[in-house]
Amino acid sequence: MNDSLISLLTALGDDELIIGHRHSEWTGHAPHIEEDVAFSSIAQDEIGHATAFYELLAQITGDDPDRLALGRSPDEYRHAILCERPNGDWAYTLARHWLYDTADALRLEALSGTAHKDLAAVAVKLQREERYHMLHATTWMSRIAHGPVEGRARLIDSITKAFAEALALFEPIELEEEAVKEGWLPVPSDEMRSRFLAHAADGLDQLGLPAEVVSPSDQSAEFVASSSGDLIERNGNGADGREWQPSGLGGRRGTHSPDFDALWDEMTVTYRENPGVTW
Amino acid sequence: MDVYEVFRRSGHKDPFEHCGAVIAPDPQMALMMAKECFLRRREGHHLWVVRRSDVHSFSDESLLEIAGDKSYRFASAYRDVVKKREKARARAEELAGA
Amino acid sequence: MTYEEKLAEFSDHIATGGKVEAEDWMPDDYRRGVLKFIEMHANSEIMGALPERECLPKAPTLRRKMSLAAKIQDEVGHSQLLYRVAEDLGKSREAMYADLVTGKSKFHNVFHYPVAHWGDVAIIGWLIDGAALVTQAALLESSYAPYTRVLKRICSEEQLHLRHGEDITLALASGTEKQRWMFQEALNRWWLAIIHFFGPKSNVEKDLLLRWKVKTRTNEDLRQEFLDRYVPKILELGFSFPTPVPFHDEDGHWRVVESEIDWTPLDAIKRNDGPETARRLGWRRRMYDDHRWVREAMSEPAMHAA
Repeated sequence: MNDSLISLLTALGDDELIIGHRHSEWTGHAPHIEEDVAFSSIAQDEIGHATAFYELLAQITGDDPDRLALGRSPDEYRHAILCERPNGDWAYTLARHWLYDTADALRLEALSGTAHKDLAAVAVKLQREERYHMLHATTWMSRIAHGPVEGRARLIDSITKAFAEALALFEPIELEEEAVKEGWLPVPSDEMRSRFLAHAADGLDQLGLPAEVVSPSDQSAEFVASSSGDLIERNGNGADGREWQPSGLGGRRGTHSPDFDALWDEMTVTYRENPGVTW
Repeated sequence: MDVYEVFRRSGHKDPFEHCGAVIAPDPQMALMMAKECFLRRREGHHLWVVRRSDVHSFSDESLLEIAGDKSYRFASAYRDVVKKREKARARAEELAGA
Repeated sequence: MTYEEKLAEFSDHIATGGKVEAEDWMPDDYRRGVLKFIEMHANSEIMGALPERECLPKAPTLRRKMSLAAKIQDEVGHSQLLYRVAEDLGKSREAMYADLVTGKSKFHNVFHYPVAHWGDVAIIGWLIDGAALVTQAALLESSYAPYTRVLKRICSEEQLHLRHGEDITLALASGTEKQRWMFQEALNRWWLAIIHFFGPKSNVEKDLLLRWKVKTRTNEDLRQEFLDRYVPKILELGFSFPTPVPFHDEDGHWRVVESEIDWTPLDAIKRNDGPETARRLGWRRRMYDDHRWVREAMSEPAMHAA
């Protein structure tokens, strides 16, 4: 059955689209003009990656990539909550960029072994750009980490904030068991999460940043089933009464934070108000 | 931060060409920024960045001026080759007939 | 050589079509004039990114999302190229940025206006970039050589932007009534500002930049070129103009009635009092202040092995 493959491709495409959308919001006011130009390329790359995944989806379902990107309702998106968070300051943006691309590198590496030959080819192709993204992120992290006290403090603070939510990039996808069985997902999410944890801790260590942010206590939050059947962390509930997960979980099941509401509205407004037209 | 002059080379037939400059805190960042500012359309495959303070030039351009006839450095000095070939052929015929 | 002798020699050099490089001797008013001109151009490119980035999140297809991001990226790249040229004339990037956000220096009128919807993207990408290309192509003949060298690249990228803008326009023009309305409604709002872009009639006697051949063509001449090129194209797509409405003159040119041009909005903008001026400059200033720690991290050598 294709449903688990569709679930996988949707999660992949949505992660790239939403983080690409956030990255593109820096255009015109990044901290340094040359960096403004550089970061825009990274944003365009991510949107291009999303396009590649949506095109694979389109091949399977007969749907249209633009409709997939811009025509679904908010609870149909399957990206991790980390991706929808506002850019915050440059420190948060860098921390998220580094964490996301570290995770993405591992994910693409694993996906190059997928049973789906077209997806494997896409994964290999995308790895080329991701190598550069990693270089960019690491170069910046290194400069801030080894720089004046204020920048270093902001960065550490941002990594701590982003890290728990970054782990949720490896929240199991819907129909994960089937996806693993069919070979679409070569490495299960739990295993990927462990790899990411080890890799990120090592990376932070090499950058001279405290790896305590990735302490074991972050991983073993106690989960309980909510009334809707979603898993929520024992210590988390949205102030607006909506069930959203402070640890960044829920995205893979279509449960997003209030931050996604405004993003979705702005991103999809032109498309939604004029369905089916050519632009 | 420094100004880094940027040079790029496309392929192997032509030398590096100056294409602009970036302001960056170190060579590694300069390379990254130069790649984005000057290679977005694959205008080159190789990149040099050089701190402007490491670039040297003549301040007195009169040092580049030529006084005497140096036309021997140019192919145009040998435009009379056709006439000279004629002359040599004629001499050879002359000697053959003697 | 005395200052007067150098000035005379320089004037002859310019009059006979000579070019000027950054390291050459220049009269003070040449240096100040060309710096101010290039600084305003650089400011315009970075301020121009602000209205466009307001449209970017709403792009209606994946491809337009990427292509518009690339277009705005090019504009930021243009500001980078232009600030570099201005820096070499003797003003630091920090000083230029400070003057921009405090309102001491200026940027082109068109970037003081709000944007509303995708129709604005078509107008900006086709007509405003079209207007910019007319003026920038003329500046390729400028006496200040470093400026012409970056303009070569800027013009070729603007050509691409023009095609992109026209592509977006044609999709709207060929589309639904609502899509055609988007273009028309935006044109109604932007037309006067586009006329203002070229400025009022040049004062050839008093214009320093024309005297020194930093600029080589008059404002009215450039505006004429724009009208002749774009008015027929807009009309053939079945769109109409608000005041000042262009008409076809007996000599074949497209003209507007001078008395129909209301210059008061431009006067306000010259005082940095346009509809979006305060908000956009305020935004830039806040960002600049917020990023102080980043600039510090970039300026200082590595403090310690962490």
